[in-house]
Amino acid sequence: MTTAPPKLSRRAFFAVSGSVAGGLIVSYYLGGCTGTGSRRAFKPNGFVQIDPDGQVTIWAKNPDMGQGVKTSLPMYVAEELDVDWASVRVIQANLDRAVYGGQGSGGSDNTPSEWNRLHQAGAMARALLVTAAAKRWGVAGAACETEPGFVVHRASGRRASYGALAGDAALLPVPATPPPLKDPSQYRLIGTKVRGVDVPSIVRGVPLYGIDVRVPGMLHAAIERCPVHGGRPARVDPARAQAVAGVRQVVTLTGLENPTHLRPGVAVVADSTWAAEQGRAALGVTWDEGAGASESNDRLLRRFRELEAGGDLKTIRTAGDVARAWRAAVTRVDLTFEQPLLAHATLEPQNCTAHFHDGRCEVWGPLQMPTSGASVIAAAVGVPVEAVTIHITRLGGGFGRRLLSDYAAEAAVVSKLVGAPVQVLWSREDDTRHDYYRPCGLHHVRAGLDAHGRLTVWHHRLVNLSRNRYRRATNGPEMTEIYGLLVPVSGDPKDSYDPDLVPTRIPNCRLDYADVETTVPTGAWRAPAHNFNAFVIESVLDELAHRGKVDPVMLRAGYLGDQPVIPTTDDNPMPYDPRREQDVLRLALEKADWRRSLPPNWGRGWAAHYTFGSYAAVVAEVSVEGNRLAVQRLVAALDVGMPVNPLTLEAQTEGGALDGLSAALFGEITIDRGRTVQSSFDGYRLLRNVEAPNVEVHITPSRAKPMGYGEIALPPVAPAVANAIFRVTGRRITRLPFVQAGFELVAPRSYG
Amino acid sequence: MVMSSFSLSINGSSRTVDVAPDTPLLWVLRDTLDMRGTKFGCGRGFCGACTVHLDGVAVRSCQTPIASAAGHSITTIEGLARQTLHPLQQAWIDEDVPQCGYCQAGQLMSAAALLSKNPHPTDTEIVAALSGNLCRCATYVRIRRAVRRAAETAGHSS
Repeated sequence: MTTAPPKLSRRAFFAVSGSVAGGLIVSYYLGGCTGTGSRRAFKPNGFVQIDPDGQVTIWAKNPDMGQGVKTSLPMYVAEELDVDWASVRVIQANLDRAVYGGQGSGGSDNTPSEWNRLHQAGAMARALLVTAAAKRWGVAGAACETEPGFVVHRASGRRASYGALAGDAALLPVPATPPPLKDPSQYRLIGTKVRGVDVPSIVRGVPLYGIDVRVPGMLHAAIERCPVHGGRPARVDPARAQAVAGVRQVVTLTGLENPTHLRPGVAVVADSTWAAEQGRAALGVTWDEGAGASESNDRLLRRFRELEAGGDLKTIRTAGDVARAWRAAVTRVDLTFEQPLLAHATLEPQNCTAHFHDGRCEVWGPLQMPTSGASVIAAAVGVPVEAVTIHITRLGGGFGRRLLSDYAAEAAVVSKLVGAPVQVLWSREDDTRHDYYRPCGLHHVRAGLDAHGRLTVWHHRLVNLSRNRYRRATNGPEMTEIYGLLVPVSGDPKDSYDPDLVPTRIPNCRLDYADVETTVPTGAWRAPAHNFNAFVIESVLDELAHRGKVDPVMLRAGYLGDQPVIPTTDDNPMPYDPRREQDVLRLALEKADWRRSLPPNWGRGWAAHYTFGSYAAVVAEVSVEGNRLAVQRLVAALDVGMPVNPLTLEAQTEGGALDGLSAALFGEITIDRGRTVQSSFDGYRLLRNVEAPNVEVHITPSRAKPMGYGEIALPPVAPAVANAIFRVTGRRITRLPFVQAGFELVAPRSYG
Repeated sequence: MVMSSFSLSINGSSRTVDVAPDTPLLWVLRDTLDMRGTKFGCGRGFCGACTVHLDGVAVRSCQTPIASAAGHSITTIEGLARQTLHPLQQAWIDEDVPQCGYCQAGQLMSAAALLSKNPHPTDTEIVAALSGNLCRCATYVRIRRAVRRAAETAGHSS
């Protein structure tokens, strides 16, 4: 009998899972300076420095994988500091616990969780510059104000640049209490469209990524892993590999108990990437395939069905009387959905460079979670975490894959074994075959309307693979994948709620859950849980509206409309307001001109979803002729609170919607004889330019607390497209990807 | 593997390398010549991240053995700008195209090859030329916008 885990807030969950823990107290109000006398640079904290020549430098603390935090988080500092953005140079910070606390990017969490401390870091610097000017002029600090880059004393007409004040400011004691922050109505930068700070380097081909790291004396390693998940090398014959020109050494990795930390393999270490790959191809390895050699999609699906039908699920939430409400329902929907495994397929394959020497490990790499990565690396090479240094590179994509740092542990271990700096680089085949996949599963939903068309009953049963069980988390597999991330299996079901969980506030509601053990690796994938739950929920709602002959917008208004607002609390940093969800749906429908009639064989569908504190709705227009499916147009509306950088918000909406479309159309990893069948982009298809419809983006103006937007637009896309296909064909799709339903994807008629 | 000497013309400069003849141009660029702007994505010609120009034509450098690149004029992302940025590079900045940015060197090289032979492409021609270049962040909407913008800009300046 295990004891019930404590109720975890999302924030606590991220701390446990190694994400950015917002709660760390960081002593970054440490004065610091470089240089001497009036030529001192002014660096009041780890985030900002002003040089005497006026150069402003802001450190970006968290990794940028395309979601734009290397730009948007320094904007917080620059806003309060009151400087022209054009005068700011942004530098990627390295891992530094003392200065920055937890560093990482995940859960669309950076935007809200970094807000206060980065604003305070900028405000602190500004306050000291004002004090320095006031002292110099012999006036009260309160009589001074700032214009971008200058302190101004209006009464006397005096002004001094930040650079001219830097030396004086560097000598001032740092105040004990944080200075007041700007009123948002005074913002000059936040809310404006700011281009990505790395873009000029990217278009010139400047090396920025993990794969571009070069260290003197560096060797290159390719790692052969057991094709069967969970297997390990039994016997290694390195002779032929070692005969390849340029190959230096062949070493064996034993792996760690937690397979998300380090998996077993055989590394071929060589002078160049190509030689390492040639050597790896010549390697002779006999594998101990382990218990997973008979695993397959078919077996998993059979297990899901048996468990679901057998009724051996644990009830994790219950309200009202589901059985009675189901019997009483006038309109009923009973649907079962199959959720496939998905690969992350970051375009930059996994890689990392490490140099183990003198009991220390220096690491350069594309890590989403440098803080937790340092612990994994330290455990892998047997040093204290303080002996691990991490240089954070730009990431060529993340999507949740790089929440795990296994490839960094590999580089560290190989470097230790060969006694030289080593870059480990995965091939595309490695990346596809040895990913930590989005879990697959089976959802069974029974839902019903009463005679007034009101949603009265919702019974959702989920059986799937648990990424929490896979990573052997101490809080897993108690944590499920149903709806939000945080529905505990144990504990009093009445005692817990989740703001993501709209349907559980239906009067008669029950959630049942079970997970299936497997050797197939699983992990987080962009908008975890939401990325399929939205498809299930919104497909059922659409079907209910259709069968009950209820206007789908009115149905939603009915079940959302009188629900209470869930406020922000210490335990729950993500408020939920059902009116905001309704509003984004109305906005998307309006902008899509949804009452306008469409050409023959065209259909329109829509969906809305709340993810990580933000609201998104998507309207899809599709055409279906025979089996030829084209997605003609996507219209997205978002409410993310105050938009920090609308240019990035639009980008994340365009890209996130198309990522959702790509996964819904093509995304499926299959397992046969314990192995991943797909190996590259021929078998694991991604959306191509010619297939990508235009995405129109509409943002709700808001003064509400800013929330993240890296994952928000994705969840509603698959159900919006499925509901549109239903309008044209009358066919309800319950298994993704769409191509498995026999559709051939063709190009849209135009690109907007 | 026997090493051989190859004379290459890259971005207008002559370079000589000693590598195995089957070594892909991609790895000669990245590992031998330290030109890391050209990216490795799949090694099989599916993704287009490694696109460079061979005599002005967009090719996959991961599928181009060094022996077959020798004697041809090679242009990489590092050589796309001359005195000023290529209009496409400027358009990529103006439209803020990249998200993670990893595919963009390949996207730009494919787009540059298109505009050099077809300065005013239709949308259909743009997507046809760029559909061999995968973008995992799916920046396709902005890529199209930027190519249109570059074509317009070039049209005004000529």
